[in-house]
Amino acid sequence: MARRPLFCTVLYMRRPVPTAFALALAFVLLTAGAADPAFAHGIVGKQDLPIPRWLFAWGAAVVLVVSFVALAVLWPQPRLERSTRRERPVVRVPVAAEVACGVVGVALFVLVVYAGLAGTQTEAANIAPTLVYVLFWVGLPFLSLLFGDVFRALNPWRAVARAVAWVAGRAGGGALPEPMDYPSRLGRWPAAAGILVFAWVELVSSSGGDPSTLAVLALVYAATQIIGMSIYGIEPWTRNADPFAVYFGLFASLSPAHWQDRRLSLRRPLVGATEVVAGPGTVALLAVMIGTTSFDGFSGGETWSNLAPDLQRFFVDLGFSQSQALEVAFTIGMLGVVLLVAGLYRLGIAGMRTIGGGADSTALGRRFAHTLIPIALAYVVAHYFSLLVYQGQAIGFLASDPLGDGSDLLGTADATIDYDVVGPNGVWYVQVGALVVGHVAGLVLAHERALVLYRKARDATRSQYWMLAVMVGFTSLGLWLLSAQAT
Amino acid sequence: MIVPLAHAGHWLVSLLYLVPVVILVAALAIARRRDSRYDDPAADDDVFADDAFEDDLSAPR
Repeated sequence: MARRPLFCTVLYMRRPVPTAFALALAFVLLTAGAADPAFAHGIVGKQDLPIPRWLFAWGAAVVLVVSFVALAVLWPQPRLERSTRRERPVVRVPVAAEVACGVVGVALFVLVVYAGLAGTQTEAANIAPTLVYVLFWVGLPFLSLLFGDVFRALNPWRAVARAVAWVAGRAGGGALPEPMDYPSRLGRWPAAAGILVFAWVELVSSSGGDPSTLAVLALVYAATQIIGMSIYGIEPWTRNADPFAVYFGLFASLSPAHWQDRRLSLRRPLVGATEVVAGPGTVALLAVMIGTTSFDGFSGGETWSNLAPDLQRFFVDLGFSQSQALEVAFTIGMLGVVLLVAGLYRLGIAGMRTIGGGADSTALGRRFAHTLIPIALAYVVAHYFSLLVYQGQAIGFLASDPLGDGSDLLGTADATIDYDVVGPNGVWYVQVGALVVGHVAGLVLAHERALVLYRKARDATRSQYWMLAVMVGFTSLGLWLLSAQAT
Repeated sequence: MIVPLAHAGHWLVSLLYLVPVVILVAALAIARRRDSRYDDPAADDDVFADDAFEDDLSAPR
């Protein structure tokens, strides 16, 4: 008989479960039974920390509680939402720069496809997996935080669509058929589904690292985006449904750098996140972003190592092959963690509703969805920082030998990875710092939104008690997942 | 899921990560219970600002 994940039982029991109990139990399910899980993107070397790692979790919780109290006492009015402070214009870039960025994006896309199809199928020797999984998937969130929505300029599918539209417009005398209205009920659901599929390919699929698989998937992805843009228009589709554009765009909303119509201006950090319109699918997308990153760490731990073989055996008994059964088991695990993250968030929202007012859970959940953006970024930084720092250096020799055929185009084929660039302790402190800062930022955004929604500041603060518990829960979960890095 | 007793030390250390959450949730539950004694039922419908839910988040942008 198939095992039903226990947290599902907790979340979907007909009888209301006390929030505190459900929250604690859901977290226990992840932490209990873990014996120093190995971490998927672990660091090299042994940490030498002055205090036990679990004490960092306690310290982080204290920081969050103190931040919460400080917000309640010192921040009685919204400062980020409905801010009257104008953005400070910095520079306006010419059209040529925008075109150049698009060309670079298309060139990199072509490189991934060509290297994937024509190069060696050894994952580490082909540039495609490193370009996609390290520089693109992990590197761009860092760039988005620092420099704003840079992917919008580099987006190869958008660049191609705009070029085609420009040429077609000229050839047709400037008149192009109007695209259909983007369906409001779709919202960001296509983006959520796309990121989930990408995470599945990376974390679950047995052939996810194959260069040729990546190349084919990149082509399928590009074709899907082109079709979507041609039906619903370039900008509506890119803003709502292009998974990577939405993913990087959400991270860019945290940045002080804001690009609009080729104009760069500076604004307060986090202001952009308060302007995110959380339509249908936004909470799901953020749960996918946090949940899949969490599963990447969780799947390297002993809890999952104990559970996965049982699940695999069950599916083998149903007639699946060994590798198929393992993929199904991992799929269930990944979806389970995503649902757990969504459930924890829903618990926070349910706690908020106890203040009164009779607000609908979905409506309230959407209004606080943007508070998950810094948490999602914190998880990415904490989880993948070491991967970016170490594996990112591989681009040095892969750029010279992108196909893995022994060429030395740039004379850097002999470059190596310097594992001393950041020590184990340094990586740990960056991870802890990212998680704490990310969750404090989430608290700030939640406090701001509560001040706008609730009539009285007292009710706004009370409504955030349970969000504070959720933030502390996410922080502890993140630090627990990271704790296995140094043994 | 079977947790071997031999690994008790390991998973007990893992549970230490949960302690802040448990303490916080317990404190909030107690505070909530005490708060409820002073709640004014008449004010229950009046907690949100007038325009709190006016914008249509489903409208395509």
